[in-house]
Amino acid sequence: MNFSEYVVSRWDTLSLAAAEHALVVGIAIGVSTAVGIGIGLLTHDLPKVRGLSLAISAAILTVPSLALLTLLIPITGLGWGSTLVALTAYAFLPIIRNTVAGLRGVDAAMVEAGRGMGMGRARVLLKVRLPLAWPLILTGVRVATQMLIGIAAIAAYVDGPGLGTQIFEGLSRLGSVNALNATLAGTLGIVVIAVLFDLFFFAVRQLTIPRGLRVRP
Amino acid sequence: MTTATLRAGRTRPFGRVSGLRHVITPVILCGVLFALYAWISAQNLDSIESRSLTREFLLAKAVEHVQLTFLATALVVVVAIPLGVVASRARNRLIAPVILTVANLGQAIPCIGLLVLCTFLLGVGFQTALVGLVAYAVLPVLRNTMVGVQQVDPALIEAARGMGMTRGQVLRRVELKLAVPAILAGLRTALVLTVGVATLGAFVAAGGFGELIINGLKLNRMPVTIVGAVLTACIAFFIDWLSGLAEDLLKPRGI
Amino acid sequence: MFDRDTGGARIELRALTKHYPGQPAPAVDHVDLDIPAGELVVFVGPSGCGKTTTMKMINRLVEPTSGEIRIGGEDVLSLHPDELRRHIGYAIQQVGLFPHQTIGQNIGLVPKLLGWSAARTAERVEELLTLVNLEPSAFHDRYPSQLSGGQQQRVGVARALAADPPVMLMDEPFGATDPITREHLQNEFVKLQKQLRKTIIFVTHDFEEAIKLGDRIAVLRERSHIAQYDTPANILAHPADDYVAGFIGQDATLKRLALLRVGDVECTQQRGSADMPQITSDASLREALDVMLAHGTDRCGSPSGVLTYGALCEAVGTEPASASEPTPASAARKEPVGAGPATALKEAVRR
Repeated sequence: MNFSEYVVSRWDTLSLAAAEHALVVGIAIGVSTAVGIGIGLLTHDLPKVRGLSLAISAAILTVPSLALLTLLIPITGLGWGSTLVALTAYAFLPIIRNTVAGLRGVDAAMVEAGRGMGMGRARVLLKVRLPLAWPLILTGVRVATQMLIGIAAIAAYVDGPGLGTQIFEGLSRLGSVNALNATLAGTLGIVVIAVLFDLFFFAVRQLTIPRGLRVRP
Repeated sequence: MTTATLRAGRTRPFGRVSGLRHVITPVILCGVLFALYAWISAQNLDSIESRSLTREFLLAKAVEHVQLTFLATALVVVVAIPLGVVASRARNRLIAPVILTVANLGQAIPCIGLLVLCTFLLGVGFQTALVGLVAYAVLPVLRNTMVGVQQVDPALIEAARGMGMTRGQVLRRVELKLAVPAILAGLRTALVLTVGVATLGAFVAAGGFGELIINGLKLNRMPVTIVGAVLTACIAFFIDWLSGLAEDLLKPRGI
Repeated sequence: MFDRDTGGARIELRALTKHYPGQPAPAVDHVDLDIPAGELVVFVGPSGCGKTTTMKMINRLVEPTSGEIRIGGEDVLSLHPDELRRHIGYAIQQVGLFPHQTIGQNIGLVPKLLGWSAARTAERVEELLTLVNLEPSAFHDRYPSQLSGGQQQRVGVARALAADPPVMLMDEPFGATDPITREHLQNEFVKLQKQLRKTIIFVTHDFEEAIKLGDRIAVLRERSHIAQYDTPANILAHPADDYVAGFIGQDATLKRLALLRVGDVECTQQRGSADMPQITSDASLREALDVMLAHGTDRCGSPSGVLTYGALCEAVGTEPASASEPTPASAARKEPVGAGPATALKEAVRR
């Protein structure tokens, strides 16, 4: 059986696994984007807390994924639970780091102009800093997503959902007819998901970044 | 400027070793390892568990893990930095974006998929894991080297050329020196990435701490899995700490 | 090479042209110029006129398309570019100090490239730091990021002087500093050049700076065509055309006054009265005029005698009462008899 025949014959399994893969990554990135931007907004002006939140999220990212996933088994069990928790935790660093960098990188003159017009601190944060920081925040979310798509493949080993199951199936049947096909299907499927997510973020970028920041002279 | 800052400026212009940051990691790691030891000692281990948790076995796995990590990183240094320099020199304006795109896309290939695919070509074993790891870690270092060299202020290059440095001298003495922080940052990323992915080497029979995790899960022996996972995390933190230290020491002063 | 005599070498440009491929017109078009040894020549012109390109052809950071460059009689285009540049000082607006090297290493770079011994280099670095008024013991081991903008500019000049080159090229070296620091650096630089007598090509778009520093000024128009090449005083007195006059601005006479010293003007040999304002002989005539205006008088005392408003006008070649040029004094004639020019001046100032 060649690769295309394999894909056609297992289309239902593969598409379900791909959908689950995208879903688990989507949920995790949604949660950590909301929480991460929140943390960034709250801490960007407090050096100590900011440093601590960055250090913790960096430490989480240092833990190898297989180790974190297995350490979560006693707490959140096998499958979706551990996968979601681990993926969400991994996404924090790029998102918080870029949010903080974006908010802090805003030109002081613009903040001063906003304050000078009588905007309060909160209003300046939401109306001036956040829109200007948005491109960088979006980049952080995109980078985090690409990373999670790869890590989610490993989650299959702790019974997590997604295309990783295909890769581990290939590994466990090393030498059999469909081993290579399964591995290829899983790997390429994940690359396709990554590309699709990238396109999605490109669209979001075009739609949400203020026109004034996109147009080039 | 006061004399105090002047004197401080002369002896140690920049806080090279910000004390606390470099002490806190090993202290926490020692604490965690001690707690793990105490916890395991308190467990009633069955024969399978106690066979997997002997000192010799753990040491052997640690050696495998570290060997795999450092050998892969050394190969990455040899391959990626020269390639990055060549790419940054490229007169052809097309080469840089192509490399950046490939580097970003390559990041999307799941490392476990890459490792298993390598097995189909090379069989299982240490070399397979090594090839997979190198392939995976080359791109971030290459990209950082290229970007690091390219982002050097053009005014500095003009000044250097204007003083009569040859192109080679400008590259060696100015561009590469100033790219060192970016290159080191890329290497640190690669090293931490590698130590994590080396855990997956156990799937292709390359040993390392991953073996404990996998065996524990296969045989349903949670203590073994947890020891494997904690040790993997500890070694990752240790190597991150070590590369942070190296980064601070190797960075040219003044930047 | 041409630097056997470090006191400055003559530079000759002959039909120097740079034509970038794909451009309809050359960026620099047939420039002919002689720069006498030991003089500071300022290239001044609007941005994009090719002044920097012309300068960069001399140390071949830009390769000429055609033409000839000679330094001290030697054909520059026959030399190896890297070797050539080691014998020409080069300072730029961004300074371009290497951030990973100490001030000492930055200055000692060219001597090192030229293979000087460590001891000789170290000695030279000390000497140069002292020359640009930076205390060697305090600055030698510091890094560029620890210096202020003005200090960095001085190090930039010291680095350009490091190998004692006969020729220096300077591209707006004081351009990025604040006005006060710039004035300070300019004054120091004028003193330094009086002592060193290098042949210097100095590029700027600031005409005031050109007058202040230049022995000669080359006013350039587009494609580096030379609109006028003369001493500052002659350019101010006789601008070649409207372009040059426009570049000088409305206050040419005031600028000329600023160029002349009280000591250069013949004063009437009489002792001034005690209530007459006094001025030193190395003050400029512009300052003297300012003193007269401030005191509402037409004369002030100097060590060599009394300086009158009339003498001041003569010095810049205008008649005190001539109508051809609207000097403040011309208003005086309409005043009733008895009211001297000083009254008119005072009125003018009040208005």
